[in-house]
Amino acid sequence: MRNKLWSVLFLLAVSLSAHTAYAMGLRSFVALPVDKGGKVVRLQYQRNTDTSTDVLVTNAAYGISGKQTLLFGLPYRLSPAGSDRTGDLSTLYRHIVWQDDTAAGTSRLGLLGGLVIPTESDRDARLQAGAVATFYKGRTEWDIDALWIQGIDDATNRARYDIAWQYRLSPAVYPDWGIGQEWALDLELGGRWEEGNTMVHQATLGLQSVHRQWVFEAGVVQDLNGPDDTQLIFSTRFHF
Amino acid sequence: MRKLLLTCFLLVLVWANPLPAEQIEIDVHGMTCAFCVDSLQRNLRKLPDVESAEVSLKRKKVRIETTGDTVDIERIKETVLDSGFTPVKITPLDAQ
Repeated sequence: MRNKLWSVLFLLAVSLSAHTAYAMGLRSFVALPVDKGGKVVRLQYQRNTDTSTDVLVTNAAYGISGKQTLLFGLPYRLSPAGSDRTGDLSTLYRHIVWQDDTAAGTSRLGLLGGLVIPTESDRDARLQAGAVATFYKGRTEWDIDALWIQGIDDATNRARYDIAWQYRLSPAVYPDWGIGQEWALDLELGGRWEEGNTMVHQATLGLQSVHRQWVFEAGVVQDLNGPDDTQLIFSTRFHF
Repeated sequence: MRKLLLTCFLLVLVWANPLPAEQIEIDVHGMTCAFCVDSLQRNLRKLPDVESAEVSLKRKKVRIETTGDTVDIERIKETVLDSGFTPVKITPLDAQ
């Protein structure tokens, strides 16, 4: 019943998206535009309420140019304690190969490629490649990305996708000049797959408080199949 | 003595009121949220001869005020592009 409710909520959001725009969802870190020389750091706390696992994911991005960005991600398990608390380091290079800016918004397509570098000697590296697309118009933004993660040696193959829809709740109309605070609703559908398992699809409902140089966001992630876990996410990002 | 005082007063006036700064308005496409466009505003403010830069997400424009009349339009365009947006039109505004 709970899963059905999530699905209905997501479909409702999709159907409301006649207008279309925002700045990146909660589950993925590959859609955010970064200016040349710009740096973005995101700290994301993830609480799995079913397994009582707490993870802190640190993400960083650096803009090589307006179209080229380096992206990094490193998870660290806060609890339960034990060995292997530091996850593998994800490194990605993003190249925006197509961009169509208009007065109403923007559409972008970027290609992704990189490595997952193990932080423990008993784990193997992975190669990763994918794409990310952003469509922004009016008050709505769509971010769609997919990654194939190819295991090297004993590492398993993985895949993931994220479809994020964000709607600017406030302000309905921007002020004539100046940048103020914004609130955005975030609805996402994502999937995580690892070789030997079925893909777990997940729905996310979140809220973002967007400021000039920082964003605070929170959300709930619900598995739609598989483990049926629920996660809480609290996240903040800073732009330097 | 009065002449001297008047001259000093005029000199102070001239020194305190430099020539009016030039205002330029840039139509920029692709501007999205506050977090995204803040970098554009900051990057423009870092340019030499740029005294201020204000963004209008509503009008999709950036208004910059320069300290002199030698404005490097190409550099401004490049800064907008490096910030991830597309400069469409640059219009000098008449000094009021």
